[in-house]
Amino acid sequence: MRGFFKILWAELVRSFIIMRRYWFASIISIGMGYATLVTLVYGLVFAAGSDSIRAMADNAINGILGFLIGAFAFGIVGMFTQGIQGMARTGELEQVCLSPFGLVTNFLARSFVMAVNSVISCTVMILLVTATVAKESLHWSPFATVVLLVLTYINLIGFGYMVGGLVLVFKYVGQIAVIIRFSMIGLAIFATEQVSQWPALGRWFAHAMPVTDAAICLKYVLIQGQMRPVLDEAGQKVVQEVVPVLDAQGAAVLDAAGSPMVEAVYALQPMSVFLHESFLFLVVSCVVWTVIGIACFRYLENWSRDKGTLGTY
Amino acid sequence: MSTEYAVELAKVDKVFHTHHFFQKNDDTGRRSFYHRKRIHAVQAVEFGIRPGEVLGLLGPNGAGKTTCVKMISSLVRPTAGKVFVNGMHVEKRRHEVLRHVGVVLEGTRTVIWPLTPLENLMYFGRLRDVSSKDLKKRARDLLDFIGLRDKMDTQVRRLSRGQRQRLAICIAMVSDPKVLLLDEPTTGLDVQSSRAIRTKVVELTREFNKSVLLTTHDMHIAQLLCDRIGIIDKGRLITCRKTRDLISVFADQTYEFRLDRMPPVELITSIPGVHEARVEADGAEEPVLLVRVSEDETERSRALYEVMDALRREQHLVRAVSLREQTLEEAFLRLTESTI
Ligand SMILES: Nc1ncnc2c1ncn2[C@@H]1O[C@H](COP(=O)(O)OP(=O)(O)O)[C@@H](O)[C@H]1O
Ligand SMILES: [Mg+2]
Repeated sequence: MRGFFKILWAELVRSFIIMRRYWFASIISIGMGYATLVTLVYGLVFAAGSDSIRAMADNAINGILGFLIGAFAFGIVGMFTQGIQGMARTGELEQVCLSPFGLVTNFLARSFVMAVNSVISCTVMILLVTATVAKESLHWSPFATVVLLVLTYINLIGFGYMVGGLVLVFKYVGQIAVIIRFSMIGLAIFATEQVSQWPALGRWFAHAMPVTDAAICLKYVLIQGQMRPVLDEAGQKVVQEVVPVLDAQGAAVLDAAGSPMVEAVYALQPMSVFLHESFLFLVVSCVVWTVIGIACFRYLENWSRDKGTLGTY
Repeated sequence: MSTEYAVELAKVDKVFHTHHFFQKNDDTGRRSFYHRKRIHAVQAVEFGIRPGEVLGLLGPNGAGKTTCVKMISSLVRPTAGKVFVNGMHVEKRRHEVLRHVGVVLEGTRTVIWPLTPLENLMYFGRLRDVSSKDLKKRARDLLDFIGLRDKMDTQVRRLSRGQRQRLAICIAMVSDPKVLLLDEPTTGLDVQSSRAIRTKVVELTREFNKSVLLTTHDMHIAQLLCDRIGIIDKGRLITCRKTRDLISVFADQTYEFRLDRMPPVELITSIPGVHEARVEADGAEEPVLLVRVSEDETERSRALYEVMDALRREQHLVRAVSLREQTLEEAFLRLTESTI
């Protein structure tokens, strides 16, 4: 534990110095992120092809949040895959291995600093983008959000340790991992509660990937404000009222026959995210991935010492 | 295991296996879907380093020097045999052992480029569990010691290669280890940097009583720097003895005859007691006849008379005769050749 904090401090100082020294690059990267997100939002809105302003906003925010969660996963898993691969090539990995605290602790601290960094820059970007595009603010619920982020992080590093261990021994896993990383972005963007209606194979794959349930929970908190539709005895959503569909200018949208289109607003009731079934999946996969991940990593680290692949080879 | 040594390798073996897909098999010469190659990188190597001693590990590329260094620093696990550091079994007490060894390995990012030397030392000091109280002072002292004080606040990427290498040595020393392992510390450096590093290594052992293992393929450096030298080739330790002894093994054997024109080499080779005769012509004007003679004194004396006789018969002008001082390079070449 002491080792963790010592390395954490070292890493924090290092990343702070680099950020300060290359502040220009840091700002540029936030700007680029912002531009990407705005593009993405309009893309998603057009792809959805919806006329409804509410559906548009929902889609957009859904997309942004998903993308950021995906990017978070992309970055952290990347540190364990391409990151380890590069470190082995340059000799940095061996330097880390020479630390008496061990590789597991070192990577824990490294990934933690990276997670904190990206949560901060993601928050900035969400605020900027929601301000420009959606004009509808999110439901900030600090406690739930922080708990979910921590669980997401643990989930991701558990998974990361497993892939990272594989990269230590089999360098080409790093290339394969790129596919996994991109699929995580995809899953995070498109993950909705509908996952539970997917076919069994896809459903289990989605639950096994560490981002899916995390993304569902975070979206549930931030977008839906921990409210879920009320269901009647037949399991149907209860309709609260029927309202006309409005376009971006606030005018009513007409159908082919010339009469105004309507959409249903469902009745909602509050339910804490901690009672959500995806939260349960998130906790379970956290435990499973962490145990499997660290066990695998230790085993594969020793194997790597046998094969001499901690360095260039 | 004896406590006399700071580092000890006992009958250490390392076998690597490499896997090749769709590549030509060097043994059969055929392209195959998959084949596995076995590399015996280190074979039954045994040596020890005493406190305050510089041991040189000398060998050509691929001899297994780096593998030895990595086995001592627990980065590579031996296939057989045991490695001890300060009496501790490296494999069993890895984390503890790492507190006692400082290592400089090959690689471009053994120091962090966007940081300054001081920041690098602070960073690695924390990673190596140096108490934060002493760290700053230790870092400055080290930079003073190695002569980078004036570059303390320059980013590493702006430093020269030699300066980076010196910083890498500082980083290895930041936790004040008893044992310092330097893998090819002067390879690829200019003369000044290489000399600076050499003098620092000497100071380290003399003043701070560190044990240093230094690998190199540069005989000159090994000769200047090391108390003892181990010669390693194809994974085998051919010999390991005091530098002085190693040089003198062949010291009294080769004589130089500086002549006016090309001598009759075959004739001289046929003289009993002459092991080898060859001509080294620098500029062809003044050929130098090199004669390697027997180790036995009487035989040698007789052979030398005969050589002079032969030269007189051919009416050569003998400009100078001298005993050629043996360099480690020759000793090394002969030692490695004899095991082929
Ligand atoms: N991780 C590894 N996997 C496979 N072969 C290796 C590995 N490390 C070293 N070798 C092989 O072992 C031999 C010794 O290598 P090395 O110790 O690096 O030599 P040196 O440092 O003396 O040049 C070489 O033939 C090298 O190709
Ligand atoms: Mg080497």
